[in-house]
Amino acid sequence: MNEYEQAQQTFFEESRDMLRQIEDALLVLESDPHDDETLNALFRAAHTIKGSAGLFGFDRIGGFTHEVETVLDRLRAGAITLNGDLAAVLLLCGDHIGQLLVETAAAEERAETNAAGADLVARLQAWGPEGKPVAAATKPDTAQAAEAGGARPWHISVDFGPSVFRDGMDPLSFLRYLGTKGDVIGVTTRIGTLPDADQFDPETCHLGFDILLQGQCTKADLTSVFDFVKDDCTLRITPSDAERSRWLEILRTMPVQERRIGELLVSCGAITPDELVRALARQDREGTSRPIGEVLVAQRAVPEEVLQVAVSRQKEQRGEESRFIRVQADKLDSLITLVGELVIAGASANLLARQTTNARLLESTQVITDLVEEIRNGALQMRMVQIGETFNRFRRVVRDVSRELGKQIDLVISGADTELDKSVVEKIADPLMHLVRNAMDHGIEMPDVREAAGKSRGSVLRLNAFHDSGSIVIEVIDDGKGLDRNRILQKAWERGLIPPNTELPDEEVFNLIFMPGFSTAEKVTSLSGRGVGMDVVRRNIEALRGNVRLSSRPGEGTTVSIRLPLTLAIIDGFLVTVGPASYVVPLDMVVECIELPAGTPPGASYLNLRGEVLPFLRMREVFDVDAPPPAHENVVVVRNGAMRAGLVVDRLLGEFQTVIKPLGKLFRNLQGIGGSTILGTGEVALILDVQALIDSAARAAARRDGQPFRADPGETVTSQRGELITLGE
Amino acid sequence: MTDATSMIDGEFGIYRVAELKPQILALVVDIDEPALDLGNVTEMDAAGLQLLLFARREARARGKSLHLTRVSPIVQDVLQLAGMSADAFEEASA
Amino acid sequence: MAKTIMVVDDSASLRQVVAIALKGAGYDVVEGADGKDALTKLDGRKIHLIVSDVNMPNMDGISFVKAVKANPSYKFTPVVMLTTENQEGKMMEGKAAGAKAWIVKPFKPPELLDAVSRLVLP
Repeated sequence: MNEYEQAQQTFFEESRDMLRQIEDALLVLESDPHDDETLNALFRAAHTIKGSAGLFGFDRIGGFTHEVETVLDRLRAGAITLNGDLAAVLLLCGDHIGQLLVETAAAEERAETNAAGADLVARLQAWGPEGKPVAAATKPDTAQAAEAGGARPWHISVDFGPSVFRDGMDPLSFLRYLGTKGDVIGVTTRIGTLPDADQFDPETCHLGFDILLQGQCTKADLTSVFDFVKDDCTLRITPSDAERSRWLEILRTMPVQERRIGELLVSCGAITPDELVRALARQDREGTSRPIGEVLVAQRAVPEEVLQVAVSRQKEQRGEESRFIRVQADKLDSLITLVGELVIAGASANLLARQTTNARLLESTQVITDLVEEIRNGALQMRMVQIGETFNRFRRVVRDVSRELGKQIDLVISGADTELDKSVVEKIADPLMHLVRNAMDHGIEMPDVREAAGKSRGSVLRLNAFHDSGSIVIEVIDDGKGLDRNRILQKAWERGLIPPNTELPDEEVFNLIFMPGFSTAEKVTSLSGRGVGMDVVRRNIEALRGNVRLSSRPGEGTTVSIRLPLTLAIIDGFLVTVGPASYVVPLDMVVECIELPAGTPPGASYLNLRGEVLPFLRMREVFDVDAPPPAHENVVVVRNGAMRAGLVVDRLLGEFQTVIKPLGKLFRNLQGIGGSTILGTGEVALILDVQALIDSAARAAARRDGQPFRADPGETVTSQRGELITLGE
Repeated sequence: MTDATSMIDGEFGIYRVAELKPQILALVVDIDEPALDLGNVTEMDAAGLQLLLFARREARARGKSLHLTRVSPIVQDVLQLAGMSADAFEEASA
Repeated sequence: MAKTIMVVDDSASLRQVVAIALKGAGYDVVEGADGKDALTKLDGRKIHLIVSDVNMPNMDGISFVKAVKANPSYKFTPVVMLTTENQEGKMMEGKAAGAKAWIVKPFKPPELLDAVSRLVLP
């Protein structure tokens, strides 16, 4: 048995001894719950087991004992009192620790023991502090910690306080220890404050050191060296130029929001949380209104230049803020909902007025309608935010990822002041991230490859935004190698996404990569990976009622354009009826309306539209409407991307602008329905999800044809119908 | 006396600096060419270093140079850590 | 010459593991089972560092530190207290008594060595 095994044996024996003490103490306490000495002994015994178990790495024992100790600590502190119930549970806990000891000694772990332990922990909760204690406090976010990038020089200046020697601290030890954090290039010892010979007390410390150190460490790493004397020394750590410019760069690019100067400086790594706490304490002590930044500079915790940048970043933000009133988003949302109701109520009043033929009433409702319209536009405008903040988030991503990939990528942002609805902005960040990473990962070549192709080594990734006829267009443009048309086509054939040897125009070939099943089998890299294919990007964008297109030129680069509605709250719709109910088709998806040719057979799923094949769906079938169809049925030709379909409806009621109301939870998973709205008459109309319907039409047509049009199985029309019956009622 | 060597042996640190200060001060005040023998020092800490630097300053203030006749490896190590060698120590005090 | 560290804790197994770690790093180790026992070991021998638990029977860590600081032969010896995260008050008390360094329990041997080596190298 080696020394360590002996120590383990000691631990097991000692712990059994402690368990006996715990048992004895509990029995004593049952008759006298306020015996302080016994309470303390009880706590100590558990504490000893926990401490030693931790040292040996017996985490099962340590973890469980910690839970017990928490309750014992409360007992000792008088927060709770021992009663029969608690004593019973604690005795069981003692037995459980005993069992854990046996199993640990035999190097085994029984599931039933773990279950029993979990059960006891749950029972202990009744006496535990309210709310689960926060698990191991996470370290303050000095996110920009030891990042790649070689050793950097640091200048460390430390003046030890007078009591350091007497406290047993040897400054030379810290100097030696500092040597483990980097290479000490030079040291100068200062005794500037040493008093005259007769005044000099050799037990009082007057030493100071200037140290030049080169190491791959952060300011926080270096500060921690002096943790034990942090209250008894003046420590100044000054960065090299390289480090300083790194701080500046982070400061310039990070989102400021409403953060304070101190927080900004901590998160860029320029000061440690301790330095901030100390400066705040000093500010407090002085009772002056000296800005924290000045205190920090005075303490030489941060270079003046770095502070200036932080202050100016904050001012930018403040300047903006002073022109703004901060409003809680839900207040705005409820205003917009109310305005929506007002629109509906206004439309209803209008309808009634028209029925009266009272000219003055009509005139006055018309004025109200116009005003309501303006209010609605104004209210929606309030939710508009600039996309710049979202774009800026990518600066850091592009910088980090390009470094990681070994590519030289510059991010150029334009149209940052383009506005769109806040709810859209929030939802676009993820798809955008995916596209940006994809472009960096797959689109842009390595510098050597670029050079060989006669391009500049450095590449440019552009994020651009602009308004275009009621939509916002966001572009991700790279100047990389472009898409390989033949490979995409090949792959689409292989995966059965399109019939083998079908030829398609370039644009359609490129957009095949957004099809489900295209990128799944492709090996995803750690960067653009995250297991998300381009089809998910498309789906996310379509969920915002937007669409995504892609164009590419070999050798010149790729442009992805995302087109989104400015807001999700209103929609320009086209109102139709099917049987007794009204439905809304989003207007931007409507291509044209035609009459269903008389004599179209009931089972048909194709129409001949000026020589083109148009799959169609009879909405009466989809919604299971039994009543006989009208003499003339109509077809609304809708389009999404390159795909078209016809929706056969009863009547066309025309264009209609309306406020979208989200569907309740119950209906959220319905395919074919995207939302609801209330008509002027008070009737509910459902908004059709055109994308899903087009897919259904295509699949239904393919099935009847016996020819696979698309490979992915997906929902069948029939199963949709079953669900939609409920809704149609 | 024109030349004398004072010797510090064993521990040269916080527990002894109070006792050593008068001895060292006397050395640099009374002796024309003060010299310290640190060849038998077995332990030295920053308090010892501070006293040594104090002695050097006092010698210098009197236009003298404190000579280190011998330094043990321990002292050598401390001087190096503090950014000076035994030679540099004397040069600086010259 | 190896530096000597005194380890004071009422857990024998903890003392043993700590001793193994310290000896492995090149220190000499003296053990004390509690404050009272440790004081008897301060018999004039050179101790470079004391590592002491707070909560111990017979004499707790705080009283022990006070006794050490009152002993002319040991008053300048650095003391590292072993505290628990929820013993903030004890930590302040220990600091006032003269123990300026601390290690939070439970710890692993490398953490102990790291803290000790800031104060005394072997």
